[in-house]
Amino acid sequence: MAIKATATVAMVREKFPQAVVETVNFRGEETIVLLPEHLVTVCSYLLKTQQYTFLSSVTAVDWLESDPRYDVIYHLLSIPNQSELRLKVRVGKPGEEHPSVPTVSGVWPGANWYEREVYDLFGIIFSGHPDLRRILMPMDWTTHPLRKDYPLTGFDLPEPHWGGQVPYDTDPGVGSQTMRTPYSRELNERRSKVTENQEPGTERK
Amino acid sequence: MQKQDIETQYIIEDSQDLEDGKRVDTMTINMGPQHPSTHGVLRLILTINGETVVKAVPDIGFLHTGIEKTAEAKTYNQALVLTDRMDYLSPLNSNLGYSLAVEKLLGIEDEITDKIKYVRVLLAELQRISSHLVWLGTHALDLGAMSVFLYCFREREMILDVFEEISGVRMMTSFICPGGLQADLTPAFDGKVRAFTSIFLDRLRDYHDLLTNNQIWMERTKGIGVLSAKDAIAYGASGPVLRGSNVVWDIRKVFPYSGYEKFEFDIPVGTNGDVYDRYLVRMLEMEESLKIVDQALEGMPEGAYRVSNPKVAPPPKWQITGSMEALIHHFKLYTEGYRPPKGEVFVRTEAPKGELGFYIVSDGTAKPYRMHVRAPSFANLEVLPLMIEGGFLADVVASIGSIDIVLGEVDR
Repeated sequence: MAIKATATVAMVREKFPQAVVETVNFRGEETIVLLPEHLVTVCSYLLKTQQYTFLSSVTAVDWLESDPRYDVIYHLLSIPNQSELRLKVRVGKPGEEHPSVPTVSGVWPGANWYEREVYDLFGIIFSGHPDLRRILMPMDWTTHPLRKDYPLTGFDLPEPHWGGQVPYDTDPGVGSQTMRTPYSRELNERRSKVTENQEPGTERK
Repeated sequence: MQKQDIETQYIIEDSQDLEDGKRVDTMTINMGPQHPSTHGVLRLILTINGETVVKAVPDIGFLHTGIEKTAEAKTYNQALVLTDRMDYLSPLNSNLGYSLAVEKLLGIEDEITDKIKYVRVLLAELQRISSHLVWLGTHALDLGAMSVFLYCFREREMILDVFEEISGVRMMTSFICPGGLQADLTPAFDGKVRAFTSIFLDRLRDYHDLLTNNQIWMERTKGIGVLSAKDAIAYGASGPVLRGSNVVWDIRKVFPYSGYEKFEFDIPVGTNGDVYDRYLVRMLEMEESLKIVDQALEGMPEGAYRVSNPKVAPPPKWQITGSMEALIHHFKLYTEGYRPPKGEVFVRTEAPKGELGFYIVSDGTAKPYRMHVRAPSFANLEVLPLMIEGGFLADVVASIGSIDIVLGEVDR
């Protein structure tokens, strides 16, 4: 007996009335908006009794102006029941640098990398995550590029960054916002302090 | 700048704990990112004990191009081009997924004619064959069978010729677009596809002769990189990796999109979940795709190649020269684009690599507020450590080849 997503939504509403903020149906897709503190309980329930065994993806949306600021979105798939469901959690008070959501990697192990991706690109911390490191951006990156207040061209570019000569001592990617390795920073500094009577490319004495 | 309290470095130890409480000297080596058998810029940090892989940590992101961020600054028509660049071995499948998502967001699914659906299915299946051919060639090349590679590329060239015939481009065609297709099919299309389908089954038999019962091939692939069905589902592996582990699951059958319910085809499934099974699943999938191509070609209906809704698809050229309204529509479409209603959709399609999902959030403006791509290779790569840990170092390339990753899609 297959349980369809609409029936699941009704069951979750009935079983966890305190956890559900609202449910939305847009273009035939069911969404349950949950409170973050009840997320793991509802997810384990969905896995065990509703057989939502497959986590398709975890992602986030940054609604810059609103409060809470971020939506964290989980796309679930039930292979036995052949149905799909979307969970949504709203986090991030105004001014909060790194909002926190409980991890679901204990429920679906595959959430590990998706949550690392969301942490990397949005700066949302998944509390209890076994290995929360950056995954797509370089390890020494300090900002979170998919946030809406992150400019498309990166931070602090030298003024005529197209066409014109980029000075040696600026980091062409993201300017001073990124802490490069100490070695490359030193190299940049050394190159920009070439004296007049020194051959280009030679070490200073 | 706020200092982050999260560990940002890998911990590399010279020795590892064994199960019986002893410690053993290990060595940590890098495989990639510049390694011919990692199929792109994948770096694996392998801790080895002699010849055995104790621990494997994939390091990705070398090809991160910020496609999701870029899409937020493009109109819906412009963002289509970005989808080609993700899985560069099967651009048309990405186009299809994206187009279906945008159409669902716009609510114009009913306007898509049968002709459009058939052409889309035909092209997507041709693309699946071409993607699998590249996989087969490179996978065999990794394991030391050079000649398969050359044969596969010979056949792939015929498919790319078909794409060149209809769109003028061999690879990044963007031919499937929201609202239909970029152009009508040319008169020579039919012949070119038939030229391919008539010979391909024989060629496929040649590949089977070369590999399937080959003793060396079987020893390199059977019982290697085993992935259980339970792990495959829990880690979100999809496509041939999931089916190779004996899970009957194909989005084309379960949630039929673009008219797949009208076509007859089977889902090949493996039994053991090893490299050989994933190999066989893909080989049989090519046969099934060929069946679909044949059916689509036979039953191709007549009709328009794009919807007649001027808000989504440009009016034909003859109208633009004669009608003021058509000209305005054309101008508005290419300068401003269209504005889908507020909302969010997630559309799953079965790409050659697995479940490709497009999650598009619209805030009612002409640009997607957020486009997230559920890339199949990303999830499939996550299970790689499960396959290779405990196996031999030499089998790592066999496992990487068998999950068929494209790093452009992993890193996006």
